[in-house]
Amino acid sequence: MANNQRGGGIQRPNGATQNKICQFKLVLLGESAVGKSSLVLRFVKGQFHEYQESTIGAAFLTQTVHIEETAVKFEIWDTAGQERYHSLAPMYYRGAQAAIVVYDIQNQDSFVRAQTWVKELQRQASPNIVIALAGNKADLAASRAVDYEEAKQYADENGLLFMETSAKTAVNVNEIFLAIAKKLPKNEGTGPQQNIRPSGNETNRTSGNCCSK
Amino acid sequence: MDEEYDAIVLGTGLKECILSGMLSVSGKKVLHIDRNSYYGGDTASITPLEELFAKFKQENPGEKYGRTRDWNVDLIPKFLMANGLLVKLLIHTGVTRYLEFKSVEGSYVYKQGKIAKVPVDQKEALASDLMGMFEKRRFRNFLIYVQDFREEDPKTWKDFDPSTQNMKALYEKFGLDPNTQDFTGHALALHRDDDYLAEPAVLTIRRIKLYSDSLARYGKSPYLYPMYGLGELPQGFARLSAIYGGTYMLDKPIDEIVLENGRVVGVRSGSEVAKCKQVYCDPSYVKDKVRKSGQVVRCICILDHPVANTKDALSTQIIIPQKQVGRRSDIYVSVISYTHQVSAKGWFIAMVSTTVETDNPENEIKPGLDLLGSIAQKFVSVGDYYEPTDNGLESQIFISQSYDATTHFETTCLDVLDIFKRGTGEDFDFSKIKQELGDEEQ
Repeated sequence: MANNQRGGGIQRPNGATQNKICQFKLVLLGESAVGKSSLVLRFVKGQFHEYQESTIGAAFLTQTVHIEETAVKFEIWDTAGQERYHSLAPMYYRGAQAAIVVYDIQNQDSFVRAQTWVKELQRQASPNIVIALAGNKADLAASRAVDYEEAKQYADENGLLFMETSAKTAVNVNEIFLAIAKKLPKNEGTGPQQNIRPSGNETNRTSGNCCSK
Repeated sequence: MDEEYDAIVLGTGLKECILSGMLSVSGKKVLHIDRNSYYGGDTASITPLEELFAKFKQENPGEKYGRTRDWNVDLIPKFLMANGLLVKLLIHTGVTRYLEFKSVEGSYVYKQGKIAKVPVDQKEALASDLMGMFEKRRFRNFLIYVQDFREEDPKTWKDFDPSTQNMKALYEKFGLDPNTQDFTGHALALHRDDDYLAEPAVLTIRRIKLYSDSLARYGKSPYLYPMYGLGELPQGFARLSAIYGGTYMLDKPIDEIVLENGRVVGVRSGSEVAKCKQVYCDPSYVKDKVRKSGQVVRCICILDHPVANTKDALSTQIIIPQKQVGRRSDIYVSVISYTHQVSAKGWFIAMVSTTVETDNPENEIKPGLDLLGSIAQKFVSVGDYYEPTDNGLESQIFISQSYDATTHFETTCLDVLDIFKRGTGEDFDFSKIKQELGDEEQ
C-alpha cells in the first residue's frame, strides 16, 4: 500500500540541495548483545564503545547516504531492548522499508535466532521490505562459530543482502547501508502525505502549552 | 526478573503505558509486565480479523472480509481531541514521531430521528438546520461569547460569574431553547449526561473551547485517529519507556502482589519474585482492590458502506444526546474505515456505545444501530467499569480506572496524571524529556 511508504513525501525541514531526497525507515533486529546499537553508532556517528550500554536511548537516529543524484535518508530504529523478552511491539515493523538482521559470528544461537527474525519480517512487515543479514563482530573471526559460506547460502536462498561486519573496525558498516540504499526503490510515486503527525507547531489559537495543569 | 525495581507496572493498556513512559523518563527503574502475549490490554487493536471472531466466539469468517491481516479492530472506541491532553502528552514525550493520524471527517448530532452536522462557528450556526432562524441568532451570540471568553479577564464574562453561576443560568442568559442546549452540552461540550447544567458554567465553557480549538487545528472535525488503530498508542508509549531503560516482559502470568505490613514489596510470577517499591496496574490485576461502579455496552459493527447522510465520510462521530431517546446518558457512534488501515479495502467499522442503564443493554444502543443501515457482522460486549477502592498511598499500589464511555481520551489522561502525582508526589515534569530524542539532522 502506498500509504505506509514514507519515501519522498515527508514534510520535514532539511536544508539539503540534492535533486532528490528519499526517506526510509530501517529497523534493526537480532538477539541481545550481537551489536545492533554499535552498528548504528558506527554508521551514524563513526564511534565505537567497547562497553556500549544495552540501548541507545534515542527514538531513532538518522543518517543520509548519497547514491548518484539521490540522497537516501535512513530513519534508523533500534529495538530499545524490547526484543530481550520477546516483547517487541508490532508497531516497530510498521512501514519499515528496510531491515538489518544482525547476528554475532561467534554465536551459533544468534544466527538461528536471526533466521527467526527474518521469518517474522516476512510474515509481519511489508512485502517489499529490503532485508540485509549482518554477521557482526567480524574482527573476532578467530573465535568464529558461524561459517561464512553457510550464512551466505542462507542469505542467497532467502533473497537477503549479506555481509560480515565489524562495528569495532568499521569493516563493511557503511557498505551494508549503501547496499541497502542501492536496492531501495527511489521512485516511490507517493505525493505529499495527508497523514498528520502532531508537532505543536501547527497554527494553534490557544496558548496552553503545559499538560500537567 | 529477580531484580529490584523502583516500580513494576502491570498491564500494557494505554494508561499503564503512559505511566510507564513517564516513570522511566523521570529516572525510575521500571519493569513492565503483561499477562497477555500482546501489547494493549483492553486498548489493543485486534488483528488479524479471525482473532476478533474467536474472541467473540463467532465462526471464522474466512476471506469474506478481505485479507484478515488488514484488520486492526479496537475494542474501545475513542478519538483524540486534536488540542486535548493526549495530543499534548504525545508531543511533549516525542511519542508523536512513531505515529501518524488522520483527521476524522465529520461530527454529527442526532435530532428527532435524523442526524445533522454539529455547527461550530458562526457561519455553520447560521446554515444549520438544527435551529430556527431566531434561535440561530441566539446561538451565534452564545458562540461569540464563548469564543471571546477569557478566564483571567472578568471583562469578557459580561456581568456573569462563570465560577459561581451554573450552566443553566448561562443558557438562560442567551435564551437558548432546550434543543440547542442539548446539542451544545452533548455534542460540543461532550457531556455524557445533564448533571453539568447545575455545575459552574466555566467547566462547560472550557469544554466548548477545547472543541473549537481542536477543530481549528486540522479542519474538518476536532478529532484525530491513529493509523492502524488505537492499539498503536500504548505501543508508542511503551517504546518511550523502553528507550529510557524500562524492561518489557509480555506473556508473563502474575501470581501474586507481595505485601509486607500492608505495603507492596514485590510481584511474584511462578517462583520468581521481582522486588519493587511501587506497583502501577489496571483493575484486572487487583480484583480485591477495586469496586464495580457501572457498565458500558459496546457494539462493534462491520459495514460495507459509509453511514447515510454523512456525505460518505470515511470516518465520523455521531452523538445521540440522551434526551432525544429518553435516556440519562448519551449514545455514541464512531465510524472508521480502510483509510486508517484498520480494515480491508472497502470496509467500515462502526462502534456504538453507551453507559448501561437497564438490564437489556443491547436494546439501549438500538437508536445508534438504526443509523448504520445494513450491518454485515455485529460483536456486542458489556464491560464492567471498575475503580480503585483507595488512593494507593498506603499500599503503594496505584490502580487505574477502567476506560469509560466517553468518546475521547480526556478522562483517560486526567486519571494518568492524577495517578502519577499520587505515586511520585509531584506533577510530571515535561522538561525531563530530552529535547532531541535522536531525530536531529546528522
